[in-house]
Amino acid sequence: MKYWGLIAANLRRNKLRTLLTGGAITLAVVLVCVLLTMPAGLDALLNAVANNTRISVHNKAGIVYSMPYSFVRKVRQVDGVAGALAMTWFGGAFEEAGRVTFPSFAIDAEHIAAVYPDYPIAAEQLADFQRYRDGAIVGRQVMKKYGWKIGQRVTLRSTVWPLSLDFRIVGEIAAERAPYFWLNREYLDQALKAKRGRGLGIAGIIWVRARDPNRVNAIMRAIDELSRNSDAETACETEKSFFANFFGSLQGFVTIILIVTALVALCIVFIAANTASMAVRERAAEIAVLKAIGFGRQVIFRTLLVEAVALSAAAGVAGVVTAAGLTGALRAFAGWSDALGPLGSFIVTTPVILQGLLLSLSVGVLAGMVPALGAARKPVVAALHDIF
Amino acid sequence: MAAAENPRSDAPLIVTRRVSRRYRRGVDEVHALEDVSLSLLGGHFVAFMGPSGSGKSTLLNLISGIDRPDEGEVCVAGQRLNDLSEDELAQWRARHVGLIFQFFNLIPVLSARDNVALPLLLTRLSKAERLLRAETALRVVGLESRADHWPRALSGGEQQRVAIARAIVTDPDLIVADEPTGDLDARNAEAILALLRQLKSEFGKTVVMVTHDPRALRYVDAAYHLDKGVLLEGEDAERAAAAIHAAAGGTAARGTAAAGSR
Repeated sequence: MKYWGLIAANLRRNKLRTLLTGGAITLAVVLVCVLLTMPAGLDALLNAVANNTRISVHNKAGIVYSMPYSFVRKVRQVDGVAGALAMTWFGGAFEEAGRVTFPSFAIDAEHIAAVYPDYPIAAEQLADFQRYRDGAIVGRQVMKKYGWKIGQRVTLRSTVWPLSLDFRIVGEIAAERAPYFWLNREYLDQALKAKRGRGLGIAGIIWVRARDPNRVNAIMRAIDELSRNSDAETACETEKSFFANFFGSLQGFVTIILIVTALVALCIVFIAANTASMAVRERAAEIAVLKAIGFGRQVIFRTLLVEAVALSAAAGVAGVVTAAGLTGALRAFAGWSDALGPLGSFIVTTPVILQGLLLSLSVGVLAGMVPALGAARKPVVAALHDIF
Repeated sequence: MAAAENPRSDAPLIVTRRVSRRYRRGVDEVHALEDVSLSLLGGHFVAFMGPSGSGKSTLLNLISGIDRPDEGEVCVAGQRLNDLSEDELAQWRARHVGLIFQFFNLIPVLSARDNVALPLLLTRLSKAERLLRAETALRVVGLESRADHWPRALSGGEQQRVAIARAIVTDPDLIVADEPTGDLDARNAEAILALLRQLKSEFGKTVVMVTHDPRALRYVDAAYHLDKGVLLEGEDAERAAAAIHAAAGGTAARGTAAAGSR
């Protein structure tokens, strides 16, 4: 483009202003790109923790309401079900912590392998869990946090039931971020019978695994049909949907962040537009002279617009590269830092890059359009009259 | 730009017929030009003179295609400017008119060479050709050694020379200058006037200049006097010329032109 020399010279005219404007656009693009990775990042997190064949069955009234334990047996009879187990909140507080610091559930020990074949639990540890009534399987995160070892005994005080129970740690869920503490349902049932003469009798959530992912919807419908018109009608959902609802508040937070991001982007448009307007105003005399010596309206419009777009595009590229570098660094750190673990899921993908670039180009076009149009449309005699 | 014999012909280069131009200033209507008719032959160096607000710059804008009359017609080099749109006028100016302003108005972020080459961006010339022509134009104004300098590194006189080089680089039919010496000291003003005369005498250019400067009378072929938007004729024109002559200490005046025929 033969006008590029003129455009580049104008961009170099006030280096500090160009740098600050470009910097503002770069920051906005970085912010938007990083935030745009959040929905996909959360989805990746959900995909990491959820399985496409696992189904959550809970009381239709909400997960704080229970179902009769007898319903688990009915669920296991549903065609296509590979396994089902009841999981009931124990709410165990570790003595040293004095409060609930990790989720603890009473679980059907003999059905774990059928429902959680993807969980990294050693077969002999699973066998020990079934063998020892007071056995517990603990997630690696909790093990690390408290420095527990397999074979160690720990006591948890239930915040739901009026009892404290001693446990023997017999196994570990060998996933870095596994936070669970699983105890044998039968152990809790017998302890309750001893304490109050009545066993557990209920299931908080029933986890079901389908043999075939294509049968998941049919199984969910069949289970809900089984409980219809009972005292505890059920609501089935996929494991991913369950966790998504569980993280619902987080997604609301993401929505708010995206709205704020859009507003930030809008602010940047205004800032860039103001800068472009100032630049055009300062150069009113030069633009008038250019028009006088024969630069037509289209040429004036195009050169001013390209100037604004070139700046914002360069800033956009810088923003996208920075965002990719930033999330790449977070991913690298996540490899050795549990605290940063979930952040490793936020990846600047090609669509995010394209959206970041599109944003920067839009900022350039929107910011440059009005002053460029104003300068181009002004009759040359009026432009000269204003300055001489 | 090739040197040429003065291509004076009997056909006028510039013709204005009963031209009027009015501006609105707030609620008032200002009559900048009233019924001005003028014929100027090509290859001459002429000046429009008069007090501030006399309409001389307005007349210059009309014949350079920057402005259009409310009434009457303006023809330059056979082209009736009234018929052209804003964009067509811009194209016409790019091909036929070289403009020089009082305050030089160079682009401060471009070198002298690039400033001179600016009008050539509107042509189909290659970059090498554009730069070659710019250097030629700079040579004509005696600034070839300053081609790489920024405007801020040049004196006022040098900046005006660069502006003149920018005006002649496209080899236009008509060069118009609005107060080209208005921001210069006496020595530089004389040099610029001499250069404009040189453009006329060596290259056959038609140069039309608006000026207050009585020294200009020693360089121009003819001076036209305006007052309150009217082109002065007869005794009025002679009185105006005499006043300028007196202001110049009797050294001015190649001649006062008779007003154009109506």
